[in-house]
Amino acid sequence: MSDEGRMLAEIHAARGLMRVSAPARTVGHSALWAHATREPGEPVDFSVVRALRTDLDTAQRYRTMLGAQALAYAPVAAAASDGAIARRRIGAFELEILPADGDAPPLLVLRGTEAKTPRMIEAWLGDEMVRLDLGAPADGTILLALDPAVPDALELGRMLRDPACAVFLL
Amino acid sequence: MAGQTISMRDLKALQGLAPRERMSGGYDERCAADLAIVGEGRDLSREDRAWLARVVTGAVRPNRDKPLWDLAHALAALARLRGCRDGRDLITLALDPGLARADAIEARLSAVSAEAGAATDGRGLVLRDGGEGWRTTWSGLARLLALAEFVLTSEDLGHFATISGWFDELVTGPDPDAAAFLAKRLARHLAAYRNAHLPLAPLERRFRAILGFLDGRRSFVDDDILDFWRNEMATGERPGFRTVAEHFVTFEAASGLLGGLESLAAASSLDAAEGWEERLDASLADLAASEPAEALAALLSDLPDGPKILTGAERDDLADFLRLEPFHRTRPLTALRAASFGRVQSGIANRLRRGGGGADVAQRASCAEAESYAALRERAGSLATHLARMLKIAAALRIADRDELPVEARAALEAAEADLRRVRRAGFEDRARLAAGFAAVDATLVRLAEETGRLEQALATLARQRPLEPAFAADLEIFARAFATAYAGEAAA
Repeated sequence: MSDEGRMLAEIHAARGLMRVSAPARTVGHSALWAHATREPGEPVDFSVVRALRTDLDTAQRYRTMLGAQALAYAPVAAAASDGAIARRRIGAFELEILPADGDAPPLLVLRGTEAKTPRMIEAWLGDEMVRLDLGAPADGTILLALDPAVPDALELGRMLRDPACAVFLL
Repeated sequence: MAGQTISMRDLKALQGLAPRERMSGGYDERCAADLAIVGEGRDLSREDRAWLARVVTGAVRPNRDKPLWDLAHALAALARLRGCRDGRDLITLALDPGLARADAIEARLSAVSAEAGAATDGRGLVLRDGGEGWRTTWSGLARLLALAEFVLTSEDLGHFATISGWFDELVTGPDPDAAAFLAKRLARHLAAYRNAHLPLAPLERRFRAILGFLDGRRSFVDDDILDFWRNEMATGERPGFRTVAEHFVTFEAASGLLGGLESLAAASSLDAAEGWEERLDASLADLAASEPAEALAALLSDLPDGPKILTGAERDDLADFLRLEPFHRTRPLTALRAASFGRVQSGIANRLRRGGGGADVAQRASCAEAESYAALRERAGSLATHLARMLKIAAALRIADRDELPVEARAALEAAEADLRRVRRAGFEDRARLAAGFAAVDATLVRLAEETGRLEQALATLARQRPLEPAFAADLEIFARAFATAYAGEAAA
């Protein structure tokens, strides 16, 4: 059977599609991706950060990008009886926060059975987000001191204790 | 999300298309947004946009999966060339608007030292496989990266994770076999996308009907469009006259491609296939080059809450006249029929959809409200005059330094200044804002004035060949009869 009708239909649809302009968007794909793949501490594009806080659609797209490159992620944690949590599973990883002990700051401990180890952690709670370098593992375990003198580390510790905090291991 | 919905609705209002009509255009809103976001984000040329739209709808011959084959090979070659560690690096390349154009890609990539098996050859990218290998030009690569962004980000990134997983796999061994495997995955993916977002079957039926009606002819006249529409009305499909006329626009643009498709499918020659690609590109590019309906949309969106260069009614009239590009120049009778009786039919369809409001169906079907061709011609003339006047005002606002100008030019600008003071429209009081408003739309204003002028000329020629009063009277009888029969059930209800 002739393919002419089909081809005309395809061309007609392509013509129609040419006329459409894009819906207004605050943040483009590439800016969002640059933010999703940034190194911790790198300067950020504040228009992206603002859009992530105020625009649900942008935040959703960002999390999709993050989820796609994450070794593991968990949208929420199972809450402990007192509401705060010290330990949670994130995919094949287990994350634990050991409380401060004397002069020693709280310690984030991350153990996993995966061959690959994450380089970074990003936590989301409401419209707050923090990204930190995890450092190299020792014997398959990552230890990160949540130094109260480092605002991001302090913030991360506080957020991770809330079960509603989403965690991405990157 | 809310922002998006509103802007899509605005867009439809602007184009005067109801949602159902857009669906009958062969694509849904999701697909339209997916493509537009990539096109605007990368600031693609109209030719590249047309190519991407063609690939997505499948208007590629002889093999609609060929672009995906090319994309997979391009990604494999890039993975080698750039020494990508994981799929992430490929996504970064695909989403980078700095790689949207051939010259930018060339500047970035041709300097990179080649890894074994992938290289650049001065004209573009090469993936070697021991045999002839695979290659593309820099401009080909620019298009393929746009396609990569489309597959990654379509459906609101619904498949982003899956596809980045495929990229991860490719990067572990970016050889021709892995490329072929990825090509198959991408082809299946795009086929599923088409199933979900491109309802092409009704369009295909309509075009088959047109092909059958024309019975092998490739050219047609205004009355063929009318006759075909009457047939369709009589057989119960009841398509809009405008919609049918739009199908004829596509038919005319693509008619040069018809007739050779079967031999093409059988052809083994790559040259033959490439020749077809060029013709397909050209047939769309002609239409897409600079459509006045789009100029109109651009003009409206660029107006900074500003001077009312066009009122809502003027805008609607212009959209009505120019929507069937290029028929407003080449087939003015069809443009008149669409503007007069097409409007009546839209009124009937809207009333049926709403289940009430305004004049009843029988009354509308009588075409008593149809605007006469003479009146429409007069309106086209006023629009042309108005746009010409606005152009002169634009010049007066732009050119402040007039001392060096010839006397006539200076006089013309002064006349425009005087005229400007007579305009009673919103936003024309504040000169600074007015100048900014005009400056934002200068180019589109010129284009609209040009097209409206052409419409006016075409109508004048038509009126000499076929006096408009009797033509309208004859058409009124035809349309009224077609409407009365087709909508008899609803009219009686």
